[in-house]
Amino acid sequence: MIYFYDGGKQGFLTALALSFCDEQAVLASETQQLALGQQTVFVASDAKRAAAVERRLLSFDQHCMLDLDTLLRSGDDDKDAVAFAYFRLLAHRKHPVRDMLSEPAALAAAECMRRVGTELHRLRGFIRFMESASGALYAPCSPDHDIVELLLPHFRARLPHYPFVLHDVGRKKAAVYDGAHAFTAPLAQAEILLSADEQAWQALWQKYYQSVNIPERERLKQMRGYLPVRYRKFMNEFYGGAPLQ
Amino acid sequence: MISLDKLAILTDGAKFDVSCSSSGSKRKNAGGMGNGFAAGCCHSFTPDGRCVSLLKILMSNDCIYDCKYCLNRVSLDKPRATATVDELCGLVLDFYKRNYIEGLFLSSAVHISPDHTMEQLVRVVKKLRTECNFHGYIHVKGIPKADEALAREAARYADRMSYNIELPTERSLKLLAPQKSKESLLAPMASLQRDREIFAAEKRKGYFLPAGQTTQMIIGASPERDGQILRLSQSLYRRRSLKRVYYSSYMPVVHDSLLPDLPAGALREHRLYQADWLLRFYGFSVEELLEEGENLSAEFDPKCAWALKNMHLFPVEVNRAPLEMLLRVPGIGGRSAQKIVEARRYCALNFEHLKKMRVVLKRARHFITANGKFFGTENQTALRGFLTDGEQDRAEQLSLFSAPQIAQSALTGEL
Repeated sequence: MIYFYDGGKQGFLTALALSFCDEQAVLASETQQLALGQQTVFVASDAKRAAAVERRLLSFDQHCMLDLDTLLRSGDDDKDAVAFAYFRLLAHRKHPVRDMLSEPAALAAAECMRRVGTELHRLRGFIRFMESASGALYAPCSPDHDIVELLLPHFRARLPHYPFVLHDVGRKKAAVYDGAHAFTAPLAQAEILLSADEQAWQALWQKYYQSVNIPERERLKQMRGYLPVRYRKFMNEFYGGAPLQ
Repeated sequence: MISLDKLAILTDGAKFDVSCSSSGSKRKNAGGMGNGFAAGCCHSFTPDGRCVSLLKILMSNDCIYDCKYCLNRVSLDKPRATATVDELCGLVLDFYKRNYIEGLFLSSAVHISPDHTMEQLVRVVKKLRTECNFHGYIHVKGIPKADEALAREAARYADRMSYNIELPTERSLKLLAPQKSKESLLAPMASLQRDREIFAAEKRKGYFLPAGQTTQMIIGASPERDGQILRLSQSLYRRRSLKRVYYSSYMPVVHDSLLPDLPAGALREHRLYQADWLLRFYGFSVEELLEEGENLSAEFDPKCAWALKNMHLFPVEVNRAPLEMLLRVPGIGGRSAQKIVEARRYCALNFEHLKKMRVVLKRARHFITANGKFFGTENQTALRGFLTDGEQDRAEQLSLFSAPQIAQSALTGEL
């Protein structure tokens, strides 16, 4: 049976409780191709039930909700199945299973979390802010995983006096810091009036990027490995994925 | 705002400085802009494969010294520029705000005098920390022969400082950089190390070089062997508590009769970094790896070369071998060794498990058993062939106009 849920933490925990005894259970948060005769259940989030499941899981592993949050942020197609298998394993073993890498479920979850963590680390560096006329900073991005909320504390800690917006263009949402409060909001499109100096600073950065390169030591494959082309779209030292000449 | 031309000149002069890491400092934001990110953060990558983490720039490229290998030496006819303190501070703050950089890497040619240059560097870092309230990462290059008090002042504000040794022996320094001496480079390192230890022991408030000291050596400009270079690195790590020694393979950017005409090549630099990692993270000592008069093998990486000389220690059983021994298996790195140690607590691991855990078995399978099974080869000749697989892939058809180092290896029969 396929258990459809809303993609959130509460929905996941409710679905986990409902499907626990079903050996054939499959968890899905998006539309999925059904096999002939396959039955479906649409799980409505149940806050009380989810809280009870959470308490029980936390008694087995006090850090497991952090894992769940990371897994549900993944952009991988099979993230629901991976998270479901991981938490079933945790519920069966009744102790932390994070390091049991010989178990396929624990290994798949570790890999999925590693991918989310890697992108988070990369974007801490690859985000490019533009200064608007009002002084607020705006950075568009299009990450593989849903991580703009996780990026927010990093920039808030280092730029506490600057309001900023991290715009996930693909998911049409934004993580916003207004100088005092941080929150997320839906945001389909943004039009920014740049500050008077913004173009000049961008030109300086592009000049710096060109000058610091050593052309005699070209290693483009290595560069692609560290900085995949998909991230270059919003980085002003690149134009259409290629370094500026 | 600094001009585009000045920025290009001052960046071009600094680009051969290898160090660009921003790790090791946990400096907190105390009401201004920026903080330290202990793991370090790369903000971009250039087509030469290097990361851009810090704004790597010279204060001035107008040098009074005439070091033969240097791009900024006084006898070269090239555009000269000197940045002001305000220009540099403005550049750092606006680049940092846009998340272009993690901080500043400030170096300088010796402009007017060592003391004057160091004083200017101190003014920049002091202004950034006190007036601009900047708490991001700052790496300052120490100027040899400058007053010790100035270096100490810089260390109060910087996260990391470095004095470049440049050439591994006093003899090479005398030949290629006659105005520098071993003493003028090592003495300030020792003094800063002492001050840092006192600062930590007295548990004073604030920071004093939280990310420690580093240095850099040019490889291939002078005739020293890898054995000598690595012995010097080991002694710097042990006696001077250096965080990193960087190696920069020599490139003939300036011509001089005392310098080689050919570049040292990236492979030698790569092998030195591999050996350096073995010294710092894998529990090796340089005496185990090579003799003083030897170079590292071009054919095998240093760990493979060591393992081939010590085959009596292998194969090791992954389910029982201590972590220190797992780290000595070719192909198994720190992360894989940790994964194995964690996972084997729950069940006996076999090769299938290792493969799924993404432990790279291409080289390791010849040196390990998993649950009693061995999937490698015991034939020494075949083993050497397997371990050099990647090297053979680099063989290529030469043309009349191939790069000089390749053409030379064809002449000597190496290819």
